[in-house]
Amino acid sequence: MADVEFRKVRKAWGAVVAVDDLDLAIEAGEFVSLLGPSGCGKTTTLRMLAGLDFPSAGEILIGGRRVNDLPPAQRDIAMVFQSYALYPHMTVAENIAYPLKKRGVPRGERGPRVAKVAEMLQLGPLLDRRPRQLSGGQQQRVALGRALVRDPRVFLLDEPLSNLDAKLRGHMRAELVELHRRLGRTMVYVTHDQLEAMTMSDRIAILEGGRLQQFAPPQAVYAAPANRFVAGFIGTPSMNLIDGELAAGPAGPEFRAPGLALAVGPLAAGTQPGPACLGLRPEHLSFGTGPLAGTVQLVEETGHEAIIAVTLGEGGPRLVGRSPAGLALRVGGQVRLALNGPAAHLFAPGPTGRRLNAPSPSGAVAAAAAGDQP
Amino acid sequence: MAAPRQTALERQYSLLGLMLIAPTVLVFCAVIVYPLVSAIYLSLFSVFTPTLQGGWVGLENYRSLLGSGEFWVSLRNNLVWTAGTLALQVLFGVGMALVLHQNLWFRSLARSLILFPYFVSTVVAVLVWKWVFNDLYGILNHVMMAAGIIDWPVDYLGTMPNAMISIILVGAWKYFPFVVIAVLARLQTIPEPLYEAARIDGAGPVARFFDITLPQLREVLVVIVLLRAIWDFKEFDLIYLMTGGGPVIATQTLPLLVYKEAFALNRMGMAAAYAVVMMAIMLVFMVLYIRRTRERRP
Ligand SMILES: Nc1ncnc2c1ncn2[C@@H]1O[C@H](COP(=O)(O)OP(=O)(O)O)[C@@H](O)[C@H]1O
Ligand SMILES: [Mg+2]
Repeated sequence: MADVEFRKVRKAWGAVVAVDDLDLAIEAGEFVSLLGPSGCGKTTTLRMLAGLDFPSAGEILIGGRRVNDLPPAQRDIAMVFQSYALYPHMTVAENIAYPLKKRGVPRGERGPRVAKVAEMLQLGPLLDRRPRQLSGGQQQRVALGRALVRDPRVFLLDEPLSNLDAKLRGHMRAELVELHRRLGRTMVYVTHDQLEAMTMSDRIAILEGGRLQQFAPPQAVYAAPANRFVAGFIGTPSMNLIDGELAAGPAGPEFRAPGLALAVGPLAAGTQPGPACLGLRPEHLSFGTGPLAGTVQLVEETGHEAIIAVTLGEGGPRLVGRSPAGLALRVGGQVRLALNGPAAHLFAPGPTGRRLNAPSPSGAVAAAAAGDQP
Repeated sequence: MAAPRQTALERQYSLLGLMLIAPTVLVFCAVIVYPLVSAIYLSLFSVFTPTLQGGWVGLENYRSLLGSGEFWVSLRNNLVWTAGTLALQVLFGVGMALVLHQNLWFRSLARSLILFPYFVSTVVAVLVWKWVFNDLYGILNHVMMAAGIIDWPVDYLGTMPNAMISIILVGAWKYFPFVVIAVLARLQTIPEPLYEAARIDGAGPVARFFDITLPQLREVLVVIVLLRAIWDFKEFDLIYLMTGGGPVIATQTLPLLVYKEAFALNRMGMAAAYAVVMMAIMLVFMVLYIRRTRERRP
């Protein structure tokens, strides 16, 4: 049974629809990220789950119980806010003890529980300080501690790392994963940073314009994006997306665009020839030899590899690829290149055009990854 | 101690600094230090107000002041008036600010209306209230008798404790908008996530007020109480116009006593002595108050 479930949930503020027709079932103990660009409805989704905003339609269930009409305190959830929302006039210890105090936990029992959480998060020496005497990372820990102390069923985290510097963020990422492993609780994590979502989650829910685009494990999201939006959103550098035509070639389906004709892998049943979009990850371009010729636009050496941008033929599409370091390339010069046709993704036209590839072989990766789930 | 030698640039900067604060220092001396020193100086003389002639009496003014019953009665009145009107101002002010902070459709209108008593000149306000309180023609007695609450007209300004209660209420009415505006400004800067976190942590509306709103208002309330206490303690026109200090001297506060000494009894030196003592009392209270509020903060 799903631990957290959204059923046909919709949220509108007047004419602005923040979340629409959301169906999402999160298993117990799962770490799920809500990922998407700014304004896509991630925070709204989380706040509806917390009980801070109310759905205009649909149902929300926690542990099988409908919570639409339950106040936040009775939903058995804890939330970490992006701004941490620590009580400024209370010490760290008082902040962490506050949820216990408001739930009538006796004073004698509060102390040991605060101490246990403080030890887990290495907050011991800070217990008598006030939030403004702490660094950003320490405040973050206190906010986590206040959520942990009650041992709730579901943890909600709204971009908890976005106010930290890059190094600390990496560190806290690892710590959150470790914490999740140790607690085994359901966590719903909002982020606009795909690196966080990819590295921490069991499954990622990708949202755009208030609609769920794909809900799948990180590997599946990367290997078999459900539509063109997901394909372009996940991965750095992002996938090359080329608009063109799908046609029947001599040896199976072929994708054609100015300066480009590529035999592509098996397509989903019922796919018709016509306008389509080709998606090719940068690692599926190889430079040096190949049937195609391109003009080098840009070379970015990162040390162990180079990111290379080329245009195909005269005014053809611009492609970005990665290649091992050491290839001597000159901006403006010519380079031979090959595209890995079987690895290409195909999408129906339009900004969220659906995936047209047959479910295998890349689908097998998704299935294998999904099989790992509890 | 060997001070490190200043460079030419540093000397130039400090000279500029001196020049920039010089006007402030001069104005400060002219408008604060000079009147203060001359008041203290004046309080050591016996001066006849119309001619401003008189002789040195030393501390004699202070001795007779502390020995007179009128001083102690006025001081007590002054404290009752200040504490009473200040408490009501803060109570009404915070309450009204909380109401206006809610999303009421008439909020902007209410916000401007609330300032009305503060803007009305004291003379006008007092005239209106004296009519309201008038024992023969006043609307208050009329309404109360029509409603059957009282059988006979009540004398609101001519008897005690009615007179003190009346001026305290009018003072609260006149000055609570100041509290409303200051508290409302602070309320709007309290971050919303604090309330949301508290809701998730299980705090009800009352707990949220005491655990979040009130601690956040603390600093602004300290400033409000400090300022309003000073202003209420030296309030003159409202009390003078409402009761003139009466009945007899039952609502006479120290500022009214200073005025009486200077212009009714023509004893300018004595009036100055009262004024100096008044200042000393306020100073003591302020120092104590600031100390206590400092201590409670970490
Ligand atoms: N209180 C609100 N009133 C009106 N519109 C809102 C409100 N909160 C959010 N929105 C709108 O809903 C959409 C989704 O917002 P949000 O969930 O905060 O996005 P995200 O967290 O993904 O950046 C945005 O277009 C935003 O402008
Ligand atoms: Mg957000």
